[in-house]
Amino acid sequence: MRSLLSLLLLIVPSVLVSAADYHEQLNLRPLPLSALLASFNFRANTSLADFEAHNFRLFPRSLGQILQYAGTRELHLRFTLGRWDAESWGTRPWDGTREGGTGVELWAWLDAETDEEADEKWLTLTNALSGLFCASLNFIDGTRTIRPVLSFQPEGDHPNSTLQSTRLLHGVLPHEVVCTENLTPFLKMLPCKGKAGIASLLDGHKLFDASFQSMAIDVRPICPSEGECVLQLEQTVDMVLDVDRSKRPHDNPIPRPPPGHDLICDTTKPYHQPGDACYPVDHLRGQDWTLSQIFGRTMKGTCPLTDAEVPPVCVHIPPTRDIFASEGAHEIKYSDNDSMRCYQIDQQQEFTLILTNTESTADGVAGPLGIVKPETPVLYAERSFTGHGQEHGGVQAILTNPGDDPVEFVYMESLPWFMRVYLHTLSARISASSPNVNTSSADIIKEIYYRPALDRARGTQLELLVSIPPHCTVFLTYDFEKSILRYTEYPPDANRGFDVAAAVITTLEPKVMNIRTTSLLLYLPTPDFSMPYNVIIFTSTTIALAFGGLYNILVRRMVGANEVPRAAFKDKVLGFIEKLKKKRAAVSAAAASAGGSARPAVANTEAK
Amino acid sequence: MSTTVTLQSKVGVFAGAALLRLVLFAAFPSLPDLLTGRVEISTPVTSFKRLQEGLFLYNHNVSPYDGGVFHQAPLLLPLFSLLPDVKNWPIFTALLYILVDLLSAYALLVIADSGEAGQSKHFTSPRRAKRSSGLLVAAAFLFNPYTIASCIGRSTSAFTNCAILFAIAKALSGSPFNSMVAISFASYLSMYPILLLPPLVLLAYDRQSDKRRIDSAVQFSLRAILIAATCISLLLAMSFALTGNSWDFLARTYGIQLTLSDLTPTVGLWWYFFIEIFDSFRAFFLAVFWLHLVIYVGGLSIRLRTQPLAVLTILLGIFAVFKPYPSISDTSLFLAMLALYRHLYPIMRYTYVASATMLYATFLGPAFYHLWIYAGSGNANFFYAITLVWSLGQSLFVSDLTFAVLRDEWEVERPDMVGKEIRQI
Repeated sequence: MRSLLSLLLLIVPSVLVSAADYHEQLNLRPLPLSALLASFNFRANTSLADFEAHNFRLFPRSLGQILQYAGTRELHLRFTLGRWDAESWGTRPWDGTREGGTGVELWAWLDAETDEEADEKWLTLTNALSGLFCASLNFIDGTRTIRPVLSFQPEGDHPNSTLQSTRLLHGVLPHEVVCTENLTPFLKMLPCKGKAGIASLLDGHKLFDASFQSMAIDVRPICPSEGECVLQLEQTVDMVLDVDRSKRPHDNPIPRPPPGHDLICDTTKPYHQPGDACYPVDHLRGQDWTLSQIFGRTMKGTCPLTDAEVPPVCVHIPPTRDIFASEGAHEIKYSDNDSMRCYQIDQQQEFTLILTNTESTADGVAGPLGIVKPETPVLYAERSFTGHGQEHGGVQAILTNPGDDPVEFVYMESLPWFMRVYLHTLSARISASSPNVNTSSADIIKEIYYRPALDRARGTQLELLVSIPPHCTVFLTYDFEKSILRYTEYPPDANRGFDVAAAVITTLEPKVMNIRTTSLLLYLPTPDFSMPYNVIIFTSTTIALAFGGLYNILVRRMVGANEVPRAAFKDKVLGFIEKLKKKRAAVSAAAASAGGSARPAVANTEAK
Repeated sequence: MSTTVTLQSKVGVFAGAALLRLVLFAAFPSLPDLLTGRVEISTPVTSFKRLQEGLFLYNHNVSPYDGGVFHQAPLLLPLFSLLPDVKNWPIFTALLYILVDLLSAYALLVIADSGEAGQSKHFTSPRRAKRSSGLLVAAAFLFNPYTIASCIGRSTSAFTNCAILFAIAKALSGSPFNSMVAISFASYLSMYPILLLPPLVLLAYDRQSDKRRIDSAVQFSLRAILIAATCISLLLAMSFALTGNSWDFLARTYGIQLTLSDLTPTVGLWWYFFIEIFDSFRAFFLAVFWLHLVIYVGGLSIRLRTQPLAVLTILLGIFAVFKPYPSISDTSLFLAMLALYRHLYPIMRYTYVASATMLYATFLGPAFYHLWIYAGSGNANFFYAITLVWSLGQSLFVSDLTFAVLRDEWEVERPDMVGKEIRQI
C-alpha cells in the first residue's frame, strides 16, 4: 500500500510537468480605422512516444487517430474568411504563416513511397478531416490538389530519412464558406473545450462577423536539441474586429450617425465652421472598449491545464494609454518592450479589460491615435482578372516592394483545370515609375515550375521564383482561356462564377513570411441549361436531314418527270376520290331534276 | 503564245494572292492574333495560340502532352521551333503559311488541269467541255475569304489541307507512292483524312502510269494501304521518340477527337450536343456521331465508283460539316474542290439557297457569338442556332453536288433527258 502511494506520488509530478506542455495566449492589438486584431494561440505538446502509444492527453484523440491512420507527418489546416488589409493594417499576424486563402486550405506531409500511395492517403485524410471539421474537405479531389515544389517547407523537425519518404500535398477549397459549424469542432479539440480560459471568449457570432478571420491548425513534430521529440498541436485564431460594429448593442444593431455635438471635426479644412460645416474624422478617434463588449462575453478564468508562466492575455498599446483590468488580475510590464502589457489572471475569477479613450483636446481636435503603429509589410500583393467577355481573360498580379532591400519570393498559383493557362504569355513588367525600369522579365522571374492542367483530372500548378528590386512595383500577367463545361459540371448557381484560389506568396529574402492574395471569381460561358432535349432533337434533326437527303439521292433511281409510274396505292386513292365525285354529281343531278326543295328529292329516292 | 499568257496569269494569281496576304499580315499587325482567337477559325486541334503554348512548353522541357491545352501533332513542334520566335519575327511564320497556301493552290491547279473532274477512266461527262480551268480553281481557292482568314489566323489545318490536296494531285499524276505518303501526313496531322484512303486508292488505281502498272485491284490497294500504314507508323514512331518516349500524345491529339473532352465552341454540330447530352448517353452518341462520319466513305465509294474524285470532294464536304472540330478552313477546302465541278453547276438545284444560307451564317455567326460571349444579351442558343444553319447550308451544297454528279452520270445513258425535269424514285 505504501509502495503504491509512493508510486502515485512519483507519477503526480510527472503529470504536472506534462501539464505544463500546454499554453494559451490572447494578443490584442488595436489597428487603425477602429479595427482590433485579436490573436488566440493554443499550443499543446505531446511526446511522440505517447502519441504512438495512443496515449492521448492534451492531443485530441479524434485528430490523433486520423493522423496515424493516414500516415501524416505534418499537417496544416486553415479556415479563412475576409481579407487582410495590408495597406492600413500592416504586417500580418505571425508573418502570415498562420493564415490561408479564402475558404479552406490544407497541406500535409504524408508517409508514402509512391505518388499513388500518397494520393490514397490524401483521400483518407481529407475525408476524415471533412467529417471532423464539418467542412467539405472531401471535395479536395485530384483537380484541387497540387504538389508544391518551392513554396512550402516543413515547419517541424523531420529526420532526413523520413522526409525522403514523405510527400507534400496541398489542396484548396476557395468556395467553402467558413462558419460556426467549423468553430465548434475547433473548440472541442482544446483541453478546456472553450469552457474556461481565453477560448471562452470565442463566440461564433463575433468571430464570423469579423472583417478578417483565420483559424489554423498545425501539427508538427518538434525535436529539441536535447530531450525527446514532441508532437506539437498549435491552434490559432486571428480575427480583425470592427470595434464600432462590435460595440453596437445586440438589440439595436443598426448604425446611426452620432449627434452633431459628438462629432470630431477636421479643423484644418478651409470650410470648417464650428456648429455648421464639419469634416468628420471619426475614424481617427482612438479606440475605447471593454473585453466583454467586443467579444460579447467575459473571460471565464484560465484553463487549469495551462502553463502558469505564460500570461494568458497581452495588449499591444502605447504606454500612455490607460487600461483597467478586473480585480484579481495582475499586470506585467516588460522593460524591453514598453508597448506591451500582459495580465496574469486568477484561475476562478471572471476577467475583463477596459481600454479608455484618449483624452481629446478641449477644442474638439482629434488627439493622437493612441495605437502602436503597424509595421510596413515586406511586400504588398494584389491580384485581379483583366479582359472582358467569357472567352479569353488575363490574370494580373501587382507586387510592390516598399522596402530598401530586394525581396525574393515564390509566387504559387493553384488554378482550376477549366482555366486554360497560356504560359507563353507570362510576363513580368516593372512599373514605369519605379527606379529600375530597365530590369527585364528574365531578371524578375528567376525560375518557373509549371505543371499544366489536364481536363477533368488535375489543375494547373504554377510556381515562380521572383525577385523584386527595392521600391519597385512588378506587374505579373498571363492570359488564359475560359473553357466551356458539360452542363452537369456547372454548379446550381452557374452564373455566380467559379472561385479561383488565392495565390500563395512565400518570401525568402529578407525574411520568411507568407502573403495570400484574395481569391477570384471566374465567370465561365454557360450553355442554356433549360433545353438539353431541344438541343439533342435539333442537332439530330440536322444530321438526319443531311443524311436522309444524301441517302435518298444515292439510292433512288432517276427517271424523267413524265415517266414516273403511278403507285398502286395512289391510284386506289385517286380512284376512290373519283368515285365519290361521280356519286355526288349523280345525287345533285337527281335533286335538280326533282326541282325545288330537298325533301321531295328524298321522297323520290325512297320511292325508288 | 498562249502558254506564256497562261504562265503569266498563273504567276499573277499566285503573286497577287501572296501579296494580298503579306499586306494583310504587315498592315494590320493585330489582325493575326484577332483571327487566331476566333472560334470559327481556330479549333482546339488547329489553334495557333495553342501551338505556341505547346511550343513554349516543348522548348522549356515540359511535355506539352502532359497538359490539356495542346492537341496537335508532335512533329509540328520541331518545325515551328526552327522558325524565329513569332513574337519578335512574325513575318517568318506568315511566310510559311503563305507558302503552304500557295502550295495547296498549286496542287489544285494540277488536279484541275488533269481533267479528272470531267473525264475519269470509267466515265466521261458529256459536259466536260465546260469544266473550269486550273487557274480559275486556284484563284477561287486563293481569293476565297475563308482561306485568307484561316491563313491569317494561322490555323494548322492549312498543313492538313495542303497534304490532302497533294495526295489527290499525286494520285492523279500517277504516283501512288507519293500520294500515300501525302495522305499519311494528313492523317498524322488531323486523323480524319485517313477516311479518304479508300477513294484515294481507287483514284490512284485508275490513274496508274503505264510503266508500273498493277492490274489486280486487290494487290494494288494492299500495297497502297501498306505504304500508308508504314508511313503513319514511321511518323508515330518519330513522334514517340520526339516526345520523350511516351505515347501520351496519342491520347491528346487523336483521343480528344474521339472523346471530345474539350468542348470549345466551333462551327460544327458536336460541341453543343455534347455539352447538353446526358452523361449516361455520352459514349453512345460519340460512337453514333463517329459512325455517321465513317459510314459515308463506303457508300459513296461504291455508288460513285466511276468518279473517285467526286467521292473525295463530297467526303471533304461531309467532313467539313460533321467532323468533331470543323472550322471554316475545312469549308474552304471543300469549296475549292467544288470549283472543279463548274460544268455541273447548271444541274445543281439549290446553289442559290445554299450559298445564301452560308452567307447568312457567315455574317450572323460572329454577331451572335459576340452577343453570347461579350454583350451578354444573348445566350449559347444564338450561336448554336447559327451553327445549325451553317451546317444545313453546307450539307445542302454537298447533297446538291452529289445529285448533280449522279444526274451527269445518268444523262450518259439518257441523253434525251438533258435539260428536262426529272424525278428520283
